[in-house]
Amino acid sequence: MNFQIFMQQLINGITLGSLYGLVAIGYTMVYGILRLINFAHGDLLMVATYAVIYSMALFMLPWYLSFPLAILFTGLVGILLDRVAYRPLRNAPRISLLISAIGASFLMENLALVIIGGVPKPFPRPSLFDKVVDLYGVKIQVLTIYTPLTTIVLLLGLLYIVRYTEVGKAMRAASRDFETTRLMGINLDRVIALTFLLGSSLAAAGGIMWAMKYPQVNPFMGIIPGLKAFIAAVLGGIGSIVGAVVGGFLLGIGEVLIVAIFPGLAQYRDAFAFMVLIFLLIFRPTGIMGEAIVDKA
Amino acid sequence: MGQIFFQTQNLTMQFGGLVAVHNFSIKIEPHEIIGLIGPNGAGKTTVFNMITGNLIPTSGKIIWLDRDITALQPHYITTLGIARTFQNIRLFGNLSVLDNVMVSYHHRLKSSFWDAMLRTRRYRSEEKHIREEAFRILTMVGLDHFAREPASSLPYGQQRKLEIARALATNPKLLLLDEPAAGMNPQETLELARFVRSLRDSFDLTLIVIEHDMKFVMGLCERIVVLVYGHTIAEGRPEDIQHHPEVIKAYLGEKRHARY
Amino acid sequence: MDKGLKKTILNISAIGLLFFALWLFDRYGTEYHVRILNNIAVFIILAVSYNLVNGICGVLHLGPNAFITIGAYTSALLTMSPAEKKISFIIEPLIWPLSVIQVPFWMSLIIAGLVSTVFAFLISYPVFRVRGDYLAIVTLGFGEVVRVLCNALQGVTNGPLGLKGLKPYTNLWWSWAIAVITIVVIQRLINSSWGRAMKAIREDEIAAKAMGIDPFRHLLMAFLINAFFSGVAGGLLAHLITTISPTLFTFFLTFNLLMIIVVGGLGSTTGAVIGATLFAWGSEALRIVESPMQIGSLYIPGIPGMRMVIFSVILMVVIIFARKGIMGQREFSWDWVFAKIKRKHT
Repeated sequence: MNFQIFMQQLINGITLGSLYGLVAIGYTMVYGILRLINFAHGDLLMVATYAVIYSMALFMLPWYLSFPLAILFTGLVGILLDRVAYRPLRNAPRISLLISAIGASFLMENLALVIIGGVPKPFPRPSLFDKVVDLYGVKIQVLTIYTPLTTIVLLLGLLYIVRYTEVGKAMRAASRDFETTRLMGINLDRVIALTFLLGSSLAAAGGIMWAMKYPQVNPFMGIIPGLKAFIAAVLGGIGSIVGAVVGGFLLGIGEVLIVAIFPGLAQYRDAFAFMVLIFLLIFRPTGIMGEAIVDKA
Repeated sequence: MGQIFFQTQNLTMQFGGLVAVHNFSIKIEPHEIIGLIGPNGAGKTTVFNMITGNLIPTSGKIIWLDRDITALQPHYITTLGIARTFQNIRLFGNLSVLDNVMVSYHHRLKSSFWDAMLRTRRYRSEEKHIREEAFRILTMVGLDHFAREPASSLPYGQQRKLEIARALATNPKLLLLDEPAAGMNPQETLELARFVRSLRDSFDLTLIVIEHDMKFVMGLCERIVVLVYGHTIAEGRPEDIQHHPEVIKAYLGEKRHARY
Repeated sequence: MDKGLKKTILNISAIGLLFFALWLFDRYGTEYHVRILNNIAVFIILAVSYNLVNGICGVLHLGPNAFITIGAYTSALLTMSPAEKKISFIIEPLIWPLSVIQVPFWMSLIIAGLVSTVFAFLISYPVFRVRGDYLAIVTLGFGEVVRVLCNALQGVTNGPLGLKGLKPYTNLWWSWAIAVITIVVIQRLINSSWGRAMKAIREDEIAAKAMGIDPFRHLLMAFLINAFFSGVAGGLLAHLITTISPTLFTFFLTFNLLMIIVVGGLGSTTGAVIGATLFAWGSEALRIVESPMQIGSLYIPGIPGMRMVIFSVILMVVIIFARKGIMGQREFSWDWVFAKIKRKHT
């Protein structure tokens, strides 16, 4: 493998990784507060891409209006998801919460199937992103540059919200100690709703960029990216936002490079992430940036 | 020198930067009843958690019957003869009161899995024996009338008794009681003290008791260890502890927060 | 009469009655009836053993489809004749010694169960190092890994082409006999000291450990038993459908099983049986919503996915509003029947 191809693959990996990272943030934020894997999180990718397709086809919106609207819409779907599937179960056993999450995920997928049909739809990628630039002999589609840049910008924005605003502080307090935060008179349901809004919006951004990279959209498209993003979140140390993005980059780069270096393993590509997860759980269940879990009696 | 019955050597537990317990050392002889007291957050339950393997000490050693049991698995430590109750009651809520106690015999079960599958005579007689034994213990703590009720339906005080019954059923030589009198009225507390002493004699037990109720501790325990912010500030007979200046200081400063 | 003896007689007569009914269906029933009855039996095997892990031990295992797949492939590869295998494996020949082995159906089912159990054992360590949501994801991930392997290991599984033309060995006798065995085995386990220990782990793992119970050993036991029966059921399914491929037993199947035991009542074998029966019958009955309809002059096209929408709504409604499901953690018992009869007479 020569340098050009290596760079090309590395950039591919970074792009893929930044998508995993964006989606992983939502998992990590929700897990931080509710200690729940939001199984339906991956399906929000699908919701966002269909929102884009419909707003562009039905309302003839240009992409720069359609994308933000789709992101906002998905954020609201995220809040609705919490309201319907999780909020009634705040005091229920955790297994119930998780089962409700799985139910919600299947409901979203099959509702999409019923409403839209199972035929994959092409995603209308704005031609702006098709351009190719030549960087010292390495040919790069501009999309692959915009994707990680967008991720970094969104990450910085999110970090600002979490660290310097009142709601952000409430979020962090809730993820430290749910009960005490409640006792301090903070409206937790609002904090949680906001968490879902932010996490789902980022997933939507990830979904739109995913669809621009792989422009075939179907009701089940969110499952695999969702699972891998979750693994990225665990890899980075669940609960840590920066960790989620780092985990996303590592997983994306690792996945692309392994296939690039050993082409014979291409068929096993989708299993790679799960092998990472299994080894992670054996050797370092808290992830790279996570804190030790204390088994408190 | 004879056998070491139970001893901890410089047990220390750190959570991040916080030192929860610092150099906790104690030596216990068979048949003693030890009281472990101190203000809230002094690290008493942390000591229990280290002894029972729920927490792995940052440093230090725990010796039980001449054997180093530091950082062994909790269930294994129980099989070696150390049982405990929990401060924040942890019963098997949906199981019946009787089943709660019967669970404790499982680790000593002699029948094999296949005996159970085939319902062999050996399995059936052992199951019957366990049921009778569990009933005997329930009768002792006065819960036999509730045997078929789900544990979660018991009133608070009875739940504490069930905690003790369940721990007894594991056949311990050392029993750790974490605030057994919490939520009991003075009369019940008095009965509990009498009951615990009778247990010591009939089950040949050694006990470590965490309790905030001073009357209970002073009346029951033969030796008391006082823990403040993870440090052992005093150790001795109840009457000495009551007059110990450090202890008085620690408790006067705490009085407003004390529960009784 | 001795109470125990009385119950044994009642149990045996109930089973006798069941098989008499099956005989009637086998002889006089339509193909449609037989198919539903076979499906019910297979789902009973799957749901009752799955309930042991999820309902009794209280951990959320999301990978039974992996063990069903392993069982289905194992059993199918063992009953196909060497000649059939040679014709089927066109991309890559089947590896030796699988290419020459052929065993009777019953033996293939047992081996299918055992192979599934071995796989379950191999992944048990990472699975039970964690709990809750993590355990759910690891087991779900294992299902994905098995699917990827089924596609990739063409020398064993024939890749995406799958295995076709299996003999339809599975009939009402096989499926129901195994269903009855499953119920008896699982019930005996649940009502033994081991079952009590598993329930204790479900209720409070830390307290269970303090009572001397090793969670890993007991969770492993439940996990392996579930894998065994899932493997056997996979073998039954393979010889019922007669065609298997990597896309056949996906997470959808696990979702359906989860719905069955949640609706029936997590932790109740009776509930799992009721749930499995309702599901097998209901998913046939609901086929109507996915096929085109003609009402008068109005033509309604079939809506694919509608059944799953209904099922996921049912799952969520039950878990949110009626968490105990139909049975809660209760079980059917003759004592309960006697009590009912007595009350009616007095």
